[in-house]
Amino acid sequence: MDKKGIYLITGIVVTVLFWIFRVEVYEGLYQAPGYSDAMYNTGIYGIVGIISAAMAWGAAAIFYYAINSVRFARWWHWLSILAIVSILAPIVCYCVNSSIFNSENYSYAAEMVSFEGVNMIFTAVLYVVASYSIRWWSSNCRHTPFPQ
Amino acid sequence: MRLFIFAIGGTGSRVLKSLVMLSAAGVKPLDEDGRPIPNVELVPIIIDPHKSNEDLKRTEQMLTEYCTIREKIYGREVNGDGFFGTKISTLRSIMGMTATTINDTFIFNMEAVGQTKFRQFISYDTMDEPNQALTSLLFADYQLENKMNIGFVGSPNIGSVALNMIKDSEEFKAFANVFGEGDRIFFISSIFGGTGAAGFPILVKNIRQAQNLDVSNKNFLRQAPIGGLTVLPYFNLNNSQGKSIDKADFVVKTQSALQYYNETLTGDADRNVNAIFYLGDQTSSIPYDYDPGNIRDQHNPAHLVEMVGAMAALKFAGMADRQFLDGMGGFLPTKAFEYGLDKDLLDVDFTTFGQETRHLIYRPMVKFHMLFIYMRTALKAIIGQGYTQDEPKIRSEFTTTQFYRTLVDQFFDFYTEWLTEMHQNLRHVELFNVGENNLSNIIHNVVTKKGFFGRKSVDENTFNSEMNKLSRDNKKYSDRTVEYKLLDLFNQAAGNILDEKYENIN
Repeated sequence: MDKKGIYLITGIVVTVLFWIFRVEVYEGLYQAPGYSDAMYNTGIYGIVGIISAAMAWGAAAIFYYAINSVRFARWWHWLSILAIVSILAPIVCYCVNSSIFNSENYSYAAEMVSFEGVNMIFTAVLYVVASYSIRWWSSNCRHTPFPQ
Repeated sequence: MRLFIFAIGGTGSRVLKSLVMLSAAGVKPLDEDGRPIPNVELVPIIIDPHKSNEDLKRTEQMLTEYCTIREKIYGREVNGDGFFGTKISTLRSIMGMTATTINDTFIFNMEAVGQTKFRQFISYDTMDEPNQALTSLLFADYQLENKMNIGFVGSPNIGSVALNMIKDSEEFKAFANVFGEGDRIFFISSIFGGTGAAGFPILVKNIRQAQNLDVSNKNFLRQAPIGGLTVLPYFNLNNSQGKSIDKADFVVKTQSALQYYNETLTGDADRNVNAIFYLGDQTSSIPYDYDPGNIRDQHNPAHLVEMVGAMAALKFAGMADRQFLDGMGGFLPTKAFEYGLDKDLLDVDFTTFGQETRHLIYRPMVKFHMLFIYMRTALKAIIGQGYTQDEPKIRSEFTTTQFYRTLVDQFFDFYTEWLTEMHQNLRHVELFNVGENNLSNIIHNVVTKKGFFGRKSVDENTFNSEMNKLSRDNKKYSDRTVEYKLLDLFNQAAGNILDEKYENIN
């Protein structure tokens, strides 16, 4: 198997591990009394993990294969997509989180914001992982953000 | 196959200049089925005692730059595909640089001729009286006083004497020794002047009589296919009336020389030349300055006839041996060719040429013009991205290399000068919209195809994107030079873009 395949499989494995160990990963960086139990009991860690991973990989796929433009292939273009997805994914997750908590009559508004701050970091990391997994086959952006 | 090209006189140099441009674009000889002939090596030998002739100097410089560029792309390989694909060599370089005393140049050393007046060259002053009288009958006083470092200025009778010394020169012996089986010889000369009109028959005679020479490959020489481009009057001169080169004499000289050629070169009894290409234009060029020996000495603008003449050399290289040989060790009758435009117009573009010419030159020349624009306007901006980051990497230092400077600064200057001169001359040759950097609009009278939102657009990023894709899918560059990678990628990309984006005129 060549280098590109190894990167792709590694990226998938890292993402899957992230989802499997989502509770440990999220609570490793953010825990709040009551809120973390509510997140665990309602299964939101799983939903948030999937949304974040899917959006991070989706954003990377859009950058490398949908946009895939010579005009949009510099490191700062890649960074701008990272910034966008790192903001968008937590917003979507916040809405989902909020909707489920509202249906359960939980009230953790401040905790949800703090949690999404942490989720922002994980989304960014997943975007980097996804980028290094799939960029090799992009015609115009395979050397973004760093040369192969 | 080596094609030894004897470019004689000013016209020889100018046609050779066009041949260099076509070769740089990747125009190659085609066989009867229209496929490029592999392994053709051109060995130009410029014969002109007029060393200060600007046309000769420009041609020599272009040839040298061509070789510099090509060596960086292909090394010493003969076969090349794409830009600068045809190998061009000096006589000395194919002999091995240490094996001979001749200079490593494309110009035949004619010091012995150029240094003297004609009367000194023939030792007129030491002749006895009857011989002096005979000589005076054959040569006018001004011809005897002619210092031959400015050529034979329209006097083929001088040239025919002076150029006969060529057979004894080191260069001619070197040529005869290196000439191999399967090689060919092509002559480029004008018929209405002095140097070319005289040089062509003299050299053919010496080659066909090679059995008298002390050289190793005399049999190959005697049996070699020989082609010749005979350029008939096509340019006009300012203030030439009554001078040594008088345009009023062009037609008379041409008629006399054609008669002589028919008797000695192309006639059925001789068959010394296997293929002869007659080329001229009754539409005279813009008037050139009559200025032998002056500043900007014979700095004549490029002309359509010269470009078409260059194609004659390629046509000859592409002809099969069976077109010359009768199968019993003899030659078939001389094949004679003339050339006509598809449309007899003063403004010439690609659509004015016939199908065969378009097939030969359109794609390579358009791709080369695209390369010219891309290298000058877009390459620097893409360095550090895309295909430039694939191995071998094209780094920013690349733009300071000798290759880059020779190609982009020097060779492309000659290229634009050549295009501009052809455009300003008569006929006006406007293959490209010179000065136009919008890649959608560079080919004169050829537009891009219609797309969903109007005509398709082509810009530098169209090329970058195509080259990125080709580089990603191509592993063959890892053991090649940066120069090869860049030009080969561009050649492929430009071909794809030409097919996909531009209307097809072929």
